[in-house]
Amino acid sequence: MISDQAKKQIDAWVAKYPEDRKSSAVMEALKIVQAENDNSLSAESIQDVADYLGMPGIAAAEVATFYENYNHKPVGKHVIRFCHNISCMLNGSDDLISHLEDKLGVKTGEVTKDGLISVKKVECLGACVGAPMFQIGDQYYENLTAEKIDEIVDGLK
Amino acid sequence: MAKIEIEIDGKMVRAKPGEMLISVTDREGISVPRFCYHKKLSVAASCRMCLVDVEGAPKPQPACSTPISEGMKIHTQNEKSKSSQKAVMEFLLINHPLDCPICDQGGECELQDVAVEYGSDVSCFSEGKRIVADNDIGPLIQTDMTRCIHCTRCVRFGAEIAGIMEMGGTGRGDHLKIEPFLTEGVTSELSGNMIDVCPVGALTSKPFRYELRSWQMNSTSTIARHDLVGSNINAQTYKGNVKRVVSGDNDAVNETWISDRDRFSYEGLSHENRLLEPQIKIEGQWKEVGWHVALDYAVKGLTSNILNNHQSDQLGVMASKTSTVEEFYLLQKIAREIGSENIDYRLNIKNLDNTAKLESNIKLGGLEGVDHALIVGSNPRLEQPMINHRLRKASLNGTSVDVINSMKFDFNYQLNSENIIAPNQIASTLAGVLSSVLASVSIELPDYLQSIKVSKESASIAEKLNNSDNSVIVLGEHVVNAENSATIVNLIAQIAKHTNSTTLNLSTTANSLAAELTGFVPGSKGMNVNAMLESDLKAYILLDIYPEYDFHHADKAIDALNDKDNFVISLNGFKNDIVSEYSDVILPIAAFYETSGTHININGDMQSFAASVVAPGESKPAWKVFKVLADLLKLPGFNYVDSTQITEEVSHQAHNNHLHNENIDLSITSDNINIIWQQSPYSIDALLRHSGSLQQTKIGKLNFAYMNASVAKDLGVSADSKYLGVPVVITDAVADRCVFVNANKATQTGGES
Ligand code: SF4
Ligand code: FES
Ligand code: FES
Repeated sequence: MISDQAKKQIDAWVAKYPEDRKSSAVMEALKIVQAENDNSLSAESIQDVADYLGMPGIAAAEVATFYENYNHKPVGKHVIRFCHNISCMLNGSDDLISHLEDKLGVKTGEVTKDGLISVKKVECLGACVGAPMFQIGDQYYENLTAEKIDEIVDGLK
Repeated sequence: MAKIEIEIDGKMVRAKPGEMLISVTDREGISVPRFCYHKKLSVAASCRMCLVDVEGAPKPQPACSTPISEGMKIHTQNEKSKSSQKAVMEFLLINHPLDCPICDQGGECELQDVAVEYGSDVSCFSEGKRIVADNDIGPLIQTDMTRCIHCTRCVRFGAEIAGIMEMGGTGRGDHLKIEPFLTEGVTSELSGNMIDVCPVGALTSKPFRYELRSWQMNSTSTIARHDLVGSNINAQTYKGNVKRVVSGDNDAVNETWISDRDRFSYEGLSHENRLLEPQIKIEGQWKEVGWHVALDYAVKGLTSNILNNHQSDQLGVMASKTSTVEEFYLLQKIAREIGSENIDYRLNIKNLDNTAKLESNIKLGGLEGVDHALIVGSNPRLEQPMINHRLRKASLNGTSVDVINSMKFDFNYQLNSENIIAPNQIASTLAGVLSSVLASVSIELPDYLQSIKVSKESASIAEKLNNSDNSVIVLGEHVVNAENSATIVNLIAQIAKHTNSTTLNLSTTANSLAAELTGFVPGSKGMNVNAMLESDLKAYILLDIYPEYDFHHADKAIDALNDKDNFVISLNGFKNDIVSEYSDVILPIAAFYETSGTHININGDMQSFAASVVAPGESKPAWKVFKVLADLLKLPGFNYVDSTQITEEVSHQAHNNHLHNENIDLSITSDNINIIWQQSPYSIDALLRHSGSLQQTKIGKLNFAYMNASVAKDLGVSADSKYLGVPVVITDAVADRCVFVNANKATQTGGES
């Protein structure tokens, strides 16, 4: 079920594209629907988006599973999107991810018991110059070290 | 277009500018390896297997997506090509399990073949391979997705040809997975083609799983007889059994695709219900006997019941729509030689005085070129899948499609308009169309149109037809039993005439064109099937008839055939209790794939085929049975040695002495509830009804009586009850005052209203 409010937001995007290309709005529509479902997308909500835009469910699912922006499992209030692509990996992201997992007591893909934080491995976020790095919300945190991570995570409320 | 010259491997070749390199090399017989490219699908250029060296280009180019231009020099065999192909091959095999010994595709696998020819025997990859979990995607297709190389042929097939995108690529990078979304799996009526297009063993035939290796089987080309297309197919056989069916190529007929119905119906051949021995009924007891005894008994029965009493017009012959040209022809010839013209195949028609003639005068290929189509009373996607495929192609090219149906169906292309009205009202809508068409060409309206008010819908349908240069009107099966069915057909003929439209008659299917051509219809002194059933005939010869499925007036037919005084000879492929009940002799006959014969498709092509396998047990091809029966009856002119002599004779003396109703009568405007009774697509003949896997599919399970709430109330049924033995579905998709039944079972009534 897509709420009327979400539909309005989606319609605004649909209006930007030619009439027979409603599906062009799929990325934004998925984002909008995800936002109103505790930041994750169920298969049903992907199908709802597809139906709303008049495209096959699988085509919307292709988009939803291709991009890291979409979550397919419940996530915490804050999602730490940890880059594990080549530059970050060469600069030690693997160890740092383990460190973060140990600190939080969860594995990548899981949510802390208090529902506050979840960790997700993502591909290159275009900040290789500051590798290793992660993103929380709209904020990039670069040149990470174990200490720096502790400090950032402790500050999350 | 002027041709240009390019050089491939030192050889000058002429080709059309802009053509993709791979189609030129294919035409010239130069082999370029490929996985994602398929001549009938869009170009994905994703596998990179087809890399070749183009002089002047710094990097090797994919042949499947490189358009040629004047003077191009291409090397397909030099070091640069070979080494890039080898490198791509190595990458493609990184995650492939190389489990050929336990893979069904082994021996007919493009990956295997190309790897042998272009690959290397060592790989630099020593890490672990990925494994992909499989989902059950339905009863027809077996998946082993760990073997998938992501060529996306199956995805493109769904999106482009089947018209419903069911498979897709989810995830990315080495998490990419080809799968259907959610749990429905793959349900398209053309889904089996994915098996053919998949270059590896990721998608294979489920019914055929672990049966045999491809090289153990013989392949014979033959013709599918379930619809009006006569798709070209290859039956792969082993030790006298059909083990698998794959599509054949014929651009004028089925291109390279076939419907699931044509692909999987062979399973019915080995059903335990096959009839294997001739039987005669003596004092109410069935006895299995040899052919001689059975045929003697049949001849004796005919002799004592009709011939001795000079009552040859007391013989009735009927045949199923799926019979071959030869079978139709010989059976009608026997009847006519004996002296009876009581001949008919139109068992499912309620009122045979209410039929009219409509020619099909457009070919399958031509359908792709029309600019407008009007479909009346048809769900072409399920009823004639390959014809629907042509219409879909046309629609993708911009053809507009109007529909007049009694239920909303799931078309896989855009409709310009969809008019959902009960069969009763179709005539008045069409009358409106005709009236509007005639007005626009200033032809005076005939009397019957004088009082017709032209609705907005009719006017717009008329306008579309008027404004198009090349339109077609397609008539389907749903109106054959409407109260004014002849009027509907005649109106269509008139509309077509005045708008210069072609017509395509899909109102009767399988091999019924052959029945018409061979004169398997009542002669001027003969009775049609419904008249026969009322006349207490003394003898019948029935070819492959299962009354509870085939007759419209099933109860009446069963009663009539059960009459104690008549003598009934039944030729059947499958056992059936009702047939045993009324018959005196039952002769086991060959089914599809087991007999030679001829099918006539909507193009008018007479496509002959040989038997792929020998019929099981004592069963024999029906045409041979008729020949021997005729000899025993001492009828002249049955000295055929093989079936081709019969087709030759047919083409020299085409009967067509049918009486048709040419009336247009718009006075019938009853408010009765209309019933459209359609056997579901996978239940239209005995072989299909015995094919296990097809019956498990979503289409195979279609067994519903659709109606809206007010009709349900009038009929006193509800969503959890049955109507005419079929579970009721209440939906607004059906026109008011109308019930649409898709039945996969026989009922006591067989669609009687
Ligand atoms: S399943 Fe077969 S056809 Fe589909 S993408 Fe994989 S290899 Fe290609
Ligand atoms: S690899 Fe981590 S930001 Fe680019
Ligand atoms: S066949 Fe050319 S890239 Fe796949």
